[in-house]
Amino acid sequence: MTERTLARNIRRLTLTIAIAFLIASIGVGYWTVVAASDLNADPFNPRLIAAVRDRPRGKIVDSSGRVLAESAKIGDAYRRRYPDRSLAQVVGYASFKYGASGVEGAYQESLIGQDPSDLLGQWKARYLGEHGVPGSVVLGLDPKVQLAAATALGGRRGAIVALDPKTGRILASVSVPSYDANALVDPAQQDVAWQQLNDAKDKPLINRVAQGLYPPGSTMKIITAAAALENGFDPNQKIRVDDPYQADRSWGDYYVRSSSGAHGDYDMSLAFQRSENIYFAKVGLTIGAQKLALMAQKFGIGHAPALDLPAAKGQLSNNGQLDRPTLLADTSYGQGELLTSPLQMAMVAATVANHGVQVQPHYATEIRDGSGGILRTIGGGAPDQIISPATAATLTGYLVQAVEAPGAFAFGAKIAGVHVAGKTGTAETPSGSPHGWFVGFAPAEDPQVAVAVIIENAGQGGVDAAPLGGAVMRAVLGK
Amino acid sequence: MEITFAVLLWGVRIVFLVLLYLFLIRAFRALHRALSDERVAITAREVGIAALVVTKSHAGGPRVGARLPLRAVSSVGRDAGNDVVLHDEAASAKHAIVSFADGEWWLEDAGSTNGTLLNGSRIWDKERLHYGDELAVGRIALRLERAQ
Amino acid sequence: MIGARPAARLVELRLLIWVAALTLAGYVAVVAAASGRFAWYEIAVPVAVLAVFGALHVFLVSVGFRGDQLLLPIAVGLTGIGFILVERLAPNLLLQQLSWLVIAAGAFCITILVPRDLTVLARYKYTWALLGVLLLVSPLLPVIGREINGARIWVGIAGVAQFEPWELVKIALVIFFAAYLEEYREVLSTPPRRFGPIPVPPIPYLLPIVGMWTVAMLVMVFEKDLGATLLFFGIFLAMLYLATGEPVYTLLGLVMLIGGGFVAYHAFGHVAARIDVWLAPFDSELRFDEAYQLTQGLFSLANGGVLGAGLGNGMPERIPVVWSDFVFDAFTEEVGFAGALALLGLYLVFVYRGMLVALRAPTTFLQLLAGGLSFIVAFQTLVIVGGNAKLIPLTGITLPFVAYGGSSLVTNFMLCGLLLRVSDITARVRR
Repeated sequence: MTERTLARNIRRLTLTIAIAFLIASIGVGYWTVVAASDLNADPFNPRLIAAVRDRPRGKIVDSSGRVLAESAKIGDAYRRRYPDRSLAQVVGYASFKYGASGVEGAYQESLIGQDPSDLLGQWKARYLGEHGVPGSVVLGLDPKVQLAAATALGGRRGAIVALDPKTGRILASVSVPSYDANALVDPAQQDVAWQQLNDAKDKPLINRVAQGLYPPGSTMKIITAAAALENGFDPNQKIRVDDPYQADRSWGDYYVRSSSGAHGDYDMSLAFQRSENIYFAKVGLTIGAQKLALMAQKFGIGHAPALDLPAAKGQLSNNGQLDRPTLLADTSYGQGELLTSPLQMAMVAATVANHGVQVQPHYATEIRDGSGGILRTIGGGAPDQIISPATAATLTGYLVQAVEAPGAFAFGAKIAGVHVAGKTGTAETPSGSPHGWFVGFAPAEDPQVAVAVIIENAGQGGVDAAPLGGAVMRAVLGK
Repeated sequence: MEITFAVLLWGVRIVFLVLLYLFLIRAFRALHRALSDERVAITAREVGIAALVVTKSHAGGPRVGARLPLRAVSSVGRDAGNDVVLHDEAASAKHAIVSFADGEWWLEDAGSTNGTLLNGSRIWDKERLHYGDELAVGRIALRLERAQ
Repeated sequence: MIGARPAARLVELRLLIWVAALTLAGYVAVVAAASGRFAWYEIAVPVAVLAVFGALHVFLVSVGFRGDQLLLPIAVGLTGIGFILVERLAPNLLLQQLSWLVIAAGAFCITILVPRDLTVLARYKYTWALLGVLLLVSPLLPVIGREINGARIWVGIAGVAQFEPWELVKIALVIFFAAYLEEYREVLSTPPRRFGPIPVPPIPYLLPIVGMWTVAMLVMVFEKDLGATLLFFGIFLAMLYLATGEPVYTLLGLVMLIGGGFVAYHAFGHVAARIDVWLAPFDSELRFDEAYQLTQGLFSLANGGVLGAGLGNGMPERIPVVWSDFVFDAFTEEVGFAGALALLGLYLVFVYRGMLVALRAPTTFLQLLAGGLSFIVAFQTLVIVGGNAKLIPLTGITLPFVAYGGSSLVTNFMLCGLLLRVSDITARVRR
């Protein structure tokens, strides 16, 4: 009898072991087959970089052909050289030890002559160790605009992004503080540099343009207004504003405050000029949480833009819902729990500029092969009509007023001879002085550029940011 | 790298993988063959290879005539963990070992207090057992018989 | 037990021919890929390795051994793959590993010849327990104890040789458990009372479970070795299940282990670090630090794909200490998921065969012994493959027969020898 139970136990243990082997096999299959393409393209995977240790990588250039990254032979290995510090987070680095980031990481395969469009080349490289001539990546950046943006921001922490509202091509991208990527590819300095950059409190490795998240402040009012206009709200209706405001006693001692201590009747145009919080809070409460949330989602808040570099998704609120009246009111004028990236707000401006059609942003425009021929062009994905052209036109009118009307907050963005549309924002932060925002586009009639500026802990908030937006747009328009 | 060398190298690599699988398949086949023998082994053990038949006992001890099946190596003693359990105060917890090796049966004392008797005489070493031999453990006598 | 007349072992011989072909092909591919050419004198090393394998076969034939003919070919096949990987990943360690192989072969032969009667092992069970505990604590002793890579599991003389006593402990413990459980299994498996579905054995019989758990926890705390703890306790639980057939004991043991692990996670840095790395290896804080090894291992797996990058054509050398901790990932990178499945298949066949030996063994002690030894191989393989593939936290357990390391090679050959001995007894009884 005991032999039988022992035999049974042995059989059961063996069966358990066999099942465990099956599970282990599935686990191995997951990494080798299912997750393989993600991991093989992971910028931290050293394989692609090391494959070209003894050969140069391709160049990264801007739209004028100016070199942003190239390989130089030092000793018996090739090392990257990065001339423009203001583009450190965009161009990135390709370190033998710490992997690659930015364009260096995202277009890694193209830069070592294994562009995904070239299947035969990839196969040869993998199985025969034969490498094609490395290709180059052309970015859409415009050197004059980039210089203007870098100069305008100076040493202040923050970010500026300018893009073409019709195509999504990014014209300028500045994130401060920046860093010297040359130190990360120098074997003598890389460890110290890597440690310092990772430990630094102000996170220089982060591309603030796409990965920095901030409360959008009053720039959010564009989305609130769009939601209202699209849902039949009459912008000419006068709404009574009395500071401080609460909808009913259930708000307790919570109030929405007007930045100008306003008492009076406001329509949408005046509310934009004065950036009146109470007006937009009332608008938000009128149209309701669902419609506001839907519009914010359409504009891309809460999901990452389809950028060719890593981008943050931001959030409408901590749980993605506007489930309390006070949260709805706060969100309507850009506070609450909202978080957006400068790129997302630039896209908001670009969508209004482009008659309500949203295009996806992109840094790179072309991949070229070793002999300079175009392998493929990079576009911004399918355009999407977010709001009606009529709504976009109405909003454009208000945004021009917000720059040009007497006493408008965004006066600093004015350009002589051109109608500029724009909106400032002042984002309250738990610590330090508020962040200053400006988003806008120009010329209002035929937009060439949309821009977003954020200055962290700016002294006076949005008023400080508007002139920077103006400077960048001037550079694009050649004024 | 020269192209023919690269191709040859790939040939060797593929041969390695193929051999790995062929080896696995051969091993698996050998495994399967052994499985059929296995059932025979189980049934053989359930019957027992041989048995000790109780020829003398006492109240509380095993019934006279009971067949106690033996395995290849069986421990005999008072303790419940033994293969052959004998309830007798004169038997030690682990008294003796009866084993089958090289086609023969063997008897060995396991360091008992009162000793093990084979055909009436106490054993000091590993002794050969024949079918029909009488052994005594404590007050119990047993006879080695073939399995039925 | 060994018969005087030589007995042919044809199944074994045929399988060994496959092993020889396999080892040579793999070795040639690795050497040719590394140097871009191949000279015939370079097969000296694999030929020496194969000569040792052949010698083992000749030895078994000449002593008239009648045991299993499948276990040895698989064991040496895996060892052959191990040599290919040492040449691939750490060629400077190749000769050292070869000398360990000779020692392992010697240990195998001794296991086959001595002791004359395996049942004797059971009689000295407390000696084995004591030996096991002594070996287990030996790394903690001053002078001979050594801490390497943060785990205090080595003994040795600086600069001369190091040995992981834990490897030998495995075998001592399996012998002890087999003997102990054989003696008490009736009492353990037929509890006097049931408390709902939970059998309640007398308190004295619960003591060994608690005792084993305590020792396992002490190992984790003082020797900082998660792998040894897991293996140690795993063997105990598996053998307890074999002896009693009560999954409740196993569950109880698992609960105790997880409970202990939970406390250890919060109390000891080395446990917490392992768990954190396991949960989020790609975390930006960890990926270049504690998790570097694991993430590089996963990149290695990903590079493997279905058919692999080709022997010598991957980049597994990017993984730190790849030759002992990550051989599985290295192998998979170069021969792909297909090769990994074959390797796991070989282990499964070995374990299955070991379990068959256990099923057919003539006494409870031998059954438990063979079951425990087979389980060691299965468990080690699963724990390290699971660790390499991020299914469970990574531990310092080695892949049996394949991973570089002298102590584990010697122990695994002894383990194989013991399994063969059990099967030899079975074969003789059933004549």
